[in-house]
Amino acid sequence: MPKVLFEPEGEATIEVDALEDMTLMEAALMGGVPHILASCGGICSCATCHVVIADEWADLIGKANEEESEMLDTVASRRPHSRLGCQVKLANAHDGVRVIVPGES
Amino acid sequence: MLSYRKYFGVIATYTALADLRAGPMNFAVPTVVVRKKNKRSRRDAVTLATEIYDPFAFAAGDDPFPIYRKLRDDYPLYHNRKWNFFALSRYDDVAVAVRDFRTFSSQFGTSLETLKEQVPVLINCDPPDHTRLRHLIAPLFTPGQVQGLEATVREYAQALLEPVREGAEFDIIADFAAKLPMAIICRLLGFRQEDEDMLREWTDLCVHREEGVFEMPEEGMQATLKLYGYFEKELAARASSPRNDIVQKLADAEKAGSLTREEVLGYLYILSIAGNETTTKLIGNMAWQFDRVPGAYSEARRSGDLWGQAIEEAMRFDGPTHMMARTTTRDVELHGGTIPAGAKVALLYMSGNRDERKYKAPDRFDIARNPRDHLGFGGGLHACLGAALARLEARVAWEELSKMMSEFDIDTSGVKRVQSPQVRGFTSLPLRFAR
Ligand code: HEM
Repeated sequence: MPKVLFEPEGEATIEVDALEDMTLMEAALMGGVPHILASCGGICSCATCHVVIADEWADLIGKANEEESEMLDTVASRRPHSRLGCQVKLANAHDGVRVIVPGES
Repeated sequence: MLSYRKYFGVIATYTALADLRAGPMNFAVPTVVVRKKNKRSRRDAVTLATEIYDPFAFAAGDDPFPIYRKLRDDYPLYHNRKWNFFALSRYDDVAVAVRDFRTFSSQFGTSLETLKEQVPVLINCDPPDHTRLRHLIAPLFTPGQVQGLEATVREYAQALLEPVREGAEFDIIADFAAKLPMAIICRLLGFRQEDEDMLREWTDLCVHREEGVFEMPEEGMQATLKLYGYFEKELAARASSPRNDIVQKLADAEKAGSLTREEVLGYLYILSIAGNETTTKLIGNMAWQFDRVPGAYSEARRSGDLWGQAIEEAMRFDGPTHMMARTTTRDVELHGGTIPAGAKVALLYMSGNRDERKYKAPDRFDIARNPRDHLGFGGGLHACLGAALARLEARVAWEELSKMMSEFDIDTSGVKRVQSPQVRGFTSLPLRFAR
């Protein structure tokens, strides 16, 4: 069960013990992380679960595919390590992963 | 041998998704434990409000919006004593509840009646079961994936309109909108085209309810068993010759040990039924709004690329799913009252969508608004799996309808609404049109 550290910008870090196979979006909902609206429930159609993977974790988590990347283009605060939380499946190897949550998603 | 008992959870689950024509219910009223210290605040929240909102009084379905407004303004935490449930009606409250799945659980069912027995079905479970079930299929329902179906949807839509094209009137529900979604989901699941009519007959029987009787009628039970029998045969067929469809995907998951046979059948059942009624109703509700709001149809038709926006506004303004229920896992303090742990809570999606605290002039149907944050497909973990598909179907449907009809009006003498605590829309909507 990987632990995820969500860092909403300007607010306190929220630690979430994700359940097996959860996505970052699902873990964020579980922790009540601010700014993660998750309107579409993970079908990659809304970009309201935008997160930025901390630099040291970015390689392990990997990059967005084409469809996700197009969705991310609609996000004003997109950064190099931006992902849609719903498209990042957590595994034990991600234990301790740091994730920045931009103010508006 | 298939037994009723075994599948009761699934049958009840369907009721949860889009219960139709259910009469006053034979309720198993959950015990609500009210702690003494909360007694006064709870009474404050409820006393005057009883009876304002009764989802089983179908007459209100003709126009529930004034009721929703009253709830939002005067009873944002409402308790209905007759059926013993709470209701949230403001956008912000519903949006929070829908995201907080740990407090507002789906696992006791998402309709107001208590489920007696339950096999894990996507819509009625919480993580980790929900996580496992949803991830299996969700990648097939992204906008990019369903986009590949556009040509198929268009072919079906054109074929359905062929017999009525040369005429001057048709029933947009019976002749068109009721058939399109079933055809598409059959294609996705991998069912044969020649079985479609039979399957639609069965799924229709499954959702039919007799006025005044909650339980699924005998014919519905029989139809459910026939569906399960059909699913079993389809699964068996794929064991010997694999195919590239959802049935195969679920069969593979069973083989890999990540789904039980019951879960596979439950999944096929929910996918066969979930999107039919609602997508049908969306297409009909759009016709109703186009007829009611001067200029809306001609504007969308002239422009040709406003259908997507019109769909979002229709989902906000007159979306088919009005309410889904949750069950609290702890006491919740809200608006000076308390929802005790273990209580049923109705999330009024269509009230949230008309909340003046959220949308400007919410009672105006305005296709320029293009709201992407409405609650018409719910939100959070359980947000509609088929939303991208529903959007695609509705868009293609209206593109094709608008090629056929330069204008239309509704023959009001033939209009019939569905009677349901959760779904609002038409079962019959005859149109007269000019080519
Ligand atoms: C306009 C058409 C549709 C509407 C209004 C609609 C509405 C909804 C809503 C409001 C929910 C959330 C339930 C909750 O909050 O408990 C939902 C869930 C669901 N919908 Fe739809 N739906 C539509 C079309 C479809 C289609 C075409 C499919 C086909 C696959 C589908 C499959 C599902 C499934 C499987 C769920 C459960 C998701 C989960 O629990 O994770 N829906 N739908």
